[in-house]
Amino acid sequence: MTGLAALADTTTGLGTNILSAVAVVAPRGRDDAVARQLLAKDGIATVSAPTLTTLSNLIAQHVGAVLITEEALNSAGAQELAHVLTSQAAWSDVPFIVLANGTSRDRSERATQKIDTLSNAVLLSRPLHAEELIRAVRSALAARVRQHEARKQLEELQRRERQLFESEAKFQAIANSVDQMIWSTLPDGYHDYYNNRWYEFTGVPHGSTDGESWNGVFHPDDQARAWELWSHSLTTGEIYEIEYRLRHHSGDYRWVLGRAQPVLDRSGTILRWYGSCTDIHEIKVAQEQRQLMLGEMNHRVKNTLAMVNVMVSQTLRLADNLPDAQTALQSRIAMMAQAHDRLIAASWAEAQMPAVVDAALAPHRTGESRFIIAGPEVEVGSKQALAVTMALHELSTNAAKYGALSNNAGKVRIHWGVTDDTFTFTWEETGGPPVDAPKRRGFGSRMIEQALASYFHGNVELSFKPNGLCFTLNAPMSGLL
Amino acid sequence: MHAKDTKRPAVLIVEDEPLLRMDAVDMIQDAGFKTYDAPSADAAIEIIGSHDDIGVLFTDIDMPGSMDGLKLAEYVRAGWPSVKILIASGVIGVGDEEMPEGSKFYAKPYATSLIIDDLHTLIAQDETNSSL
Repeated sequence: MTGLAALADTTTGLGTNILSAVAVVAPRGRDDAVARQLLAKDGIATVSAPTLTTLSNLIAQHVGAVLITEEALNSAGAQELAHVLTSQAAWSDVPFIVLANGTSRDRSERATQKIDTLSNAVLLSRPLHAEELIRAVRSALAARVRQHEARKQLEELQRRERQLFESEAKFQAIANSVDQMIWSTLPDGYHDYYNNRWYEFTGVPHGSTDGESWNGVFHPDDQARAWELWSHSLTTGEIYEIEYRLRHHSGDYRWVLGRAQPVLDRSGTILRWYGSCTDIHEIKVAQEQRQLMLGEMNHRVKNTLAMVNVMVSQTLRLADNLPDAQTALQSRIAMMAQAHDRLIAASWAEAQMPAVVDAALAPHRTGESRFIIAGPEVEVGSKQALAVTMALHELSTNAAKYGALSNNAGKVRIHWGVTDDTFTFTWEETGGPPVDAPKRRGFGSRMIEQALASYFHGNVELSFKPNGLCFTLNAPMSGLL
Repeated sequence: MHAKDTKRPAVLIVEDEPLLRMDAVDMIQDAGFKTYDAPSADAAIEIIGSHDDIGVLFTDIDMPGSMDGLKLAEYVRAGWPSVKILIASGVIGVGDEEMPEGSKFYAKPYATSLIIDDLHTLIAQDETNSSL
């Protein structure tokens, strides 16, 4: 084993780079000294290797070249040398210059084989000829330099390949971990990449949407629009952005936000398009619902304001004085506000009959059980519910002023029912003071006789009988909703 | 003016919401006009076809039935060109091009006085025109 210290002893000059040094193996005679002297004169660093084991060690350290006498090949450690030589790196083939005994003619087969195991060897015949030796060594070292250059390039290539592999693996990991569908196309728009998410979402077989087949997975109503926009982006290089419906593997179409942008080279030429699709179905549906609700809301607010407008104009039109008008207006508006509360609680579309009556009468109850209410559950539409509420408000207000609720004894009987597809609703007052028919019809009467009847597509009878006001509504069941 | 009151054209009010219809009828009657009223375009066409004293159509837009107020207005403009057309709606953004020429639009809820003033102006124009 030759340590670094031993190496330093036998090299010519300190700081010798082993990679460009020549190992000299000439254990016998003067060959070692002569050769090293000649080479030193020419500025070539040498390392003396007394045994094949030392040489093997130097080869393992990538010595520049080996100058060896033919007889040294027969010394101990040949097997070790053979092993070191065959296990050299792919780029490495250490050059040998063998100082031969005599000519090839008298070389034995065994001796030839020995030289062959060196793989990269030239023969020089002795006695040593200075110029021949120098040339052979120089040429060997030059070849060795080329091997090192090849090694560098090979390692660089391997490094790049590893980087590329890692980068590809990283890309795949990212592309397949995001929730978005990701795709890429050639500059002409030919799709040649989709991430896994695309195939999971659409359920189409891998590769089946390559080229221009992607358009087929779009909703038929969105295909032309998407195609037009995509073609525009392809010709102009502008960013592609569109919302469209994409066929989900369930067969449903889901709203998706599609985006793509080109990657350009230094001259501005499009190299590739990279795109993504984001599932925005939930957002889109929520937006549509919100839009729908806002529209409905707007409609209802407008409708309510129109109703308030009617209340105001009708109240003022028939009012005897402003304080009366104020009271009537405020109670009518309060009644409408309560009616809205209940309609919202009943999901607005329709309300149940006893609930509508109970709620409408609530502000008029005095805790004396003056109302006798009887009737089955019947569903009515929101407009009809509001009309009944208004009618009951007007009737109750009138009863409190002039009718059955204006004394201590009067009762109001409210009952309804359905017979033969006809809905009948009755309000009957008894026990109040004697009734005089009013000289002119107020808003309440007219509302009941004209509007209420019309809301129910039915007819109404309002009679001011002396023993109490009586009101009856008859309507077909079809008029209730 | 007073002598002509009896010859005043009648107003046909078309509105599907019963309370609003009732109020519109009151408003126009209070202003001294004879009125007819209908809850739908189909009912309105029947009335206009059988009464020749109708000079003004006052209609809502959003109504159930085979026609909405705009279609009714077009139909009346074509069949009874002398009838003035007033359109009221809670739907804003009705373009002029959607309304028959010479018709007027009111956003609901509207001010009674605005409608009544316009009615008087329209009738006065008509009387001036026919006296020329």
